[in-house]
Amino acid sequence: MSTTQAAAVSAVTTPPRRGGWRALRERESFTGLVFVSPFILGFIVFSAIPMVASLVLSLTDFDPREPDEVRFIGLANYSQMFNDPVLHQALGVTVRFALLVVPLTLAFALGVAMLVNSKLLAGRTVFRTLFYMPMQIPIVASTIVWIGVLHSTNGWLNYALEAVGIPGPNWLQSTFWVGPALGLMGLWGIGNMMLIFLAGLQSVPTELYDAAKVDGAGPLASFRHVTLPMISPVLFYNLIIALIAAFQYFTQAYVISNGRGDPDRATLFFNLDLYREAFGFFHMGYASAMAWLLFVVVLGLTVVLFRTAGSWVFAGGER
Amino acid sequence: MNGYEREHHWPWTKLPVLLAAVALVGAACSSGASSTPSATATAAATEAPSATLCTPVDIEWYVGLGTGENEEQIPAEEAVVEAFNDSQDCINLLLTVVDNTEAADTLATRIAANDPPDIIGPIGIRGLQSFGDQLLDLGPYIESSGVDLSEIDQSLIDVYKLDGKQIGIPMAVYSSFIYYNKALFDEAGLAYPPHEVGEQYDGQDWTWATVRDLAMKLTVDTDGNDATSADFDPDNVDVYGLDAQFTENDARAWSTIFGGSGSVVAADGTTAQWPDNWRTGLQFFYDGIWKDHFIPNQTAVQALAAGNTFQSGRIAMDVVHQWYTCCVYPGEGETAAVTDWDIAVLPVGPDGKITSKLHADTIGVLDSTANPDQAFEALSFLTKSPELIQTWGAMPAIESQRAAFFDGLNERFAPLEIDWNVSTLMLAYPDNPSHEAYMPNFQEADSANKDLGSKLWTTPGLDLDSELDAQVELLQGIFDSAS
Repeated sequence: MSTTQAAAVSAVTTPPRRGGWRALRERESFTGLVFVSPFILGFIVFSAIPMVASLVLSLTDFDPREPDEVRFIGLANYSQMFNDPVLHQALGVTVRFALLVVPLTLAFALGVAMLVNSKLLAGRTVFRTLFYMPMQIPIVASTIVWIGVLHSTNGWLNYALEAVGIPGPNWLQSTFWVGPALGLMGLWGIGNMMLIFLAGLQSVPTELYDAAKVDGAGPLASFRHVTLPMISPVLFYNLIIALIAAFQYFTQAYVISNGRGDPDRATLFFNLDLYREAFGFFHMGYASAMAWLLFVVVLGLTVVLFRTAGSWVFAGGER
Repeated sequence: MNGYEREHHWPWTKLPVLLAAVALVGAACSSGASSTPSATATAAATEAPSATLCTPVDIEWYVGLGTGENEEQIPAEEAVVEAFNDSQDCINLLLTVVDNTEAADTLATRIAANDPPDIIGPIGIRGLQSFGDQLLDLGPYIESSGVDLSEIDQSLIDVYKLDGKQIGIPMAVYSSFIYYNKALFDEAGLAYPPHEVGEQYDGQDWTWATVRDLAMKLTVDTDGNDATSADFDPDNVDVYGLDAQFTENDARAWSTIFGGSGSVVAADGTTAQWPDNWRTGLQFFYDGIWKDHFIPNQTAVQALAAGNTFQSGRIAMDVVHQWYTCCVYPGEGETAAVTDWDIAVLPVGPDGKITSKLHADTIGVLDSTANPDQAFEALSFLTKSPELIQTWGAMPAIESQRAAFFDGLNERFAPLEIDWNVSTLMLAYPDNPSHEAYMPNFQEADSANKDLGSKLWTTPGLDLDSELDAQVELLQGIFDSAS
């Protein structure tokens, strides 16, 4: 082939470079940004800006009824939180509730997931649907139904307890029993958690169970040494979600106590107290400070959990 | 053709994506909650004369903080607005109705957004305290306009004085008295309570001590034993002798009913207190629930017609306001448990006086209004409207309008002949200061008092003096944070 012919062939086979790889990457990045832009704009407008605004408000005594008389008061709202007995009580109610409900819902959801994953259960698909169905009912509607179920004299639950000779407690008017009552309501809504656990259980390789069986492991040992480690990532995920939900608990408490935290502030969760401060007492500045306190607390707990995750969460078969 | 040779349709294929993205963002931004509440605005066209003497201004009337938001009431309110607009050319009155559960929040939001209405109401004394600082002093306007308040009792007018400001003109008033179930008295073989002030009961002065004795005889368990009997079972009460329903757990309300007038704010306006007569009154109430068992606790109340205890037919005497005539009978299609009832005067309290806790509705003007004169003119028209009074089931503050009001009640409750004279008699004994009177940091202090009420209603075995001392300390902290 002559040099001229080689050059001509080269010209045909080597495409002209229109801007090169960098330009192509830039064009692809821009296209990606275009697709992501609605989220970015929405996040900025509806999340980031309000967060910054609430941080600023937390340094003021803003009252929406007198917007022109807002004053900068520095960290006074934050220091007031140390002397607010109602806030301390609300924090205590929330922490106690989280300590009760988080392990309970995790255990219950895992138990139900294992049940509906069992080959021995006939109609597993039906049961999965039934356990998930409560998630479709609006929270307010379901809470109103639960108020009827938990009524101390006319409620079904106490009727059932009394039928077996157990005197039913005053679920919603007792400062002691109202927490377990809310926990019961929480157990009814484990559908999402159950599904996530189910997905985790189904991803455990069966060879591991076979190997455990060969080594003489019984059901409990298999659960402890195979199932739990292998589903630890989903367990970790559910733990984080349950913890955040417990600290943000609001709707059910609001509905059963009519927004008051009754009886005797036993259902005055942190978020409900925040809501009262903001929209009942018009202390928007103080309520904003409370919101940031909640953020710091939940963030701190999440960081602690992530730090400890390395010792007990198996990710991809590795610690 | 390889990837390098593919044709780039960049401007055209990406354009729909860009447009879609912009549309999404625009839809997201425009779907945010509007700060304007759902409104039923009525702008009745006025017939403008060929030569207008003034520039019509819009005055917005905001309804929902008290009554007035029910569907049945709105047409009457719209008719009154239309009548006002037809009667003059300078003011265009607009009606905005908001659901009661959202009304206070929505109003606060609108004030914060610099979009406040002009007139708010009907609103009770408690509701006015939430926005008391935002209300216009009507005193100068009353004087300059020559509005005649002579038919309204001065004590009622004084109820709406806040820090020297006259923030409202009484429109509707609701004295409180005893509703009693005649059938339960007949069953117990007991005489009915007195209808006249100063009248004795069974040879004894009509005091709360006498009421207690009577209530214990009327309180009966499921085996028929009354509360004076050694065999009385407090865990299975069938009929209670006394209640004071629909007080929203307010410890101030119960203290006033059973203790007489008082205030949690000392004369200096900043010191918290719980006066002795209130301690006595609250102790009477607390013992009535947990020691003598003639008043239902909260659990029992929930089981009695879902809180409308007198309607259940299992409460012999109930201290409630005039407005309770709305709810003595259940809805259509349901059988009434109370078929024969009447009303009685309140007894003398531990302070030696009769105190009939008073509720009152009014309409106020926000001080942010751009047109205070026009707003006051509209307010004056509305507060005198008998149609609105009737729609709201309100007892008129103006004496000359009361006869028609009671005639309407007689028609509703026929063939019963209720002694409405009791209601008028009790108007002479309003609580002063009001149990809903101003406190510093009002909403938070009010909530704290309701928390106390809730605790007393649900928790036996409390040392009431200690609880009240703790409450005073809590209130002082709340009052101090207002400054």
